[in-house]
Amino acid sequence: MAKQKSSSAVRLRRVVQTVFLLLFLYLFLQTAFHAGGTAGKGIDFFFDIDPLVLLTVWLGGHVAAAALLFSLITAGITLIFGRWFCGWVCPFGALHNLVSSWRGATTKQKIETGGYTRWHHAKYYVLIAVLIAAIVGANLAGWIDPFSFFYRSMTMAVFPAINAGLQHFFDLIYRWSPGFAAVTTEPLYRLLRRYLLTLGQPHYFWSMMFGVLFGGVVALNFFRARFWCKYVCPLGALLGFIGKNPVLQLKTDPALCGDCKLCLVDCQGGANPNGQAPWKASECMYCWNCQSVCASSAISFKFEVPGGKK
Amino acid sequence: MFRWIANFFCPPKDAGIDLKRRHVTAAAVMGIGGGWLFHAQPADRNADANSGVRETAPNPALIRPPGSLAEAEFLSKCIRCAECMKACPTNAIQPAALEAGLQGMWSPVLKMSVGYCEYKCNLCTQVCPTGAIAKMPLESKQKVRMGLAMVDKSRCLPYAYGKTCYQCQVQCPLPKKAIWQEDATVINSAGEKIAVKLPHVDADLCVGCGTCERKCPVTDQAAIRVTSVGETRNPQNQFTWRDRYSG
Repeated sequence: MAKQKSSSAVRLRRVVQTVFLLLFLYLFLQTAFHAGGTAGKGIDFFFDIDPLVLLTVWLGGHVAAAALLFSLITAGITLIFGRWFCGWVCPFGALHNLVSSWRGATTKQKIETGGYTRWHHAKYYVLIAVLIAAIVGANLAGWIDPFSFFYRSMTMAVFPAINAGLQHFFDLIYRWSPGFAAVTTEPLYRLLRRYLLTLGQPHYFWSMMFGVLFGGVVALNFFRARFWCKYVCPLGALLGFIGKNPVLQLKTDPALCGDCKLCLVDCQGGANPNGQAPWKASECMYCWNCQSVCASSAISFKFEVPGGKK
Repeated sequence: MFRWIANFFCPPKDAGIDLKRRHVTAAAVMGIGGGWLFHAQPADRNADANSGVRETAPNPALIRPPGSLAEAEFLSKCIRCAECMKACPTNAIQPAALEAGLQGMWSPVLKMSVGYCEYKCNLCTQVCPTGAIAKMPLESKQKVRMGLAMVDKSRCLPYAYGKTCYQCQVQCPLPKKAIWQEDATVINSAGEKIAVKLPHVDADLCVGCGTCERKCPVTDQAAIRVTSVGETRNPQNQFTWRDRYSG
């Protein structure tokens, strides 16, 4: 099937996701020693806008760092726009989105596996367990909070591996022929040295385990698109709960719908956009894929106060 | 607006998050049970610094980064994001295995076998997003005790082998060195008298940064090692003789 041109909303979303993913990686690299003995500026950004961090820290200690209150903005916007955060802002979600797009499933398989299932409940149970544990004094959110998970995996596995690999690569070329390296790879090496590579190779206990865990979670996207976001992520569950009655709602016009089910193919959350079963606001990541792919323009997003007349 | 609120708490059927009640209960029980089980571990008995009773021995290997809160508060705030580990310029901050119990898994601990706490650095206190490691200006951080270094006389070169060595004293970064040297004469294997300087740790000055341990020429298990005793954040993890015998 020839790939259709995506709508401008989808293209805008991709740009926004890319920007936030790059911002995450940039802030990650900024978390290092700078002249004057300071860490980079604003490196806590993603944790500051993470309401799960605020909630668990507050439940556990009844005090929380003031900067974490920024996450109330996330929560507030979610009340109106639903889980937009998962689809547009979350850098871990952007990564899953990207990897999911490489999934080799057929259109038929995607339609069959892309809908709402009871496995979507799993993340809410994870969230409940984490919140209750926080109340009784064990903050376990960090093990499974998406930003903690992503950042930790980057710190302990991905970045050290990239650092070691690049270092090894340039060393090999240099050893093979210093003269050749001087004119070809050394300028690039100097550039990487300045902006990416660290002075000493970082080492962490358990780094192999963190790498396998991270690789496993990313690989699950080949089994189900955005597996982590749909079934595991407690932040997604929290935002799904906050945004279960969004003002921005997906409307499927039954008069126009030809029931082709194309909207189910790349539905990122498995939110039933096709109008046969009720649309699941808590699972919708507002990726606009369904609206983009719908040939009969039956799907639209509309502002409507929830609980109004049907 | 009212409808919106009402709808939030009593959603129409099929549209909300249709969780099964028994699964919700199971998840809640797991949360409570997990939390309570964690409190039943030995590691937790020292977590509550306000209990006034030291019930089990603190873990000597549980050396937290400078500025870390008391253990119970620390664990309620730390989200294991590893920002401190990324920031640490000497790579000393490492993910805990079971030093802090299962509930403290992957939380930050200082491993002097990998690095040491750089005296002129407070990056970990700057980056922590939740305040588990409190923000601290450099001058305050330099006064925080993370633990205490102790000389292992059976491994230390001047003590055990009559060889001249003063690495730990030289490397100590404190303005007034926390390691002082005793001029002594020891006998080597040939029976010769050798003048050496024996290192001693000044417990009132040492902050437990681990620089001496990292730089000790006994490479596998250093002859001077930091343990958590004396750490500022835990009043239960102190020498107790002061109170009992010295007033």
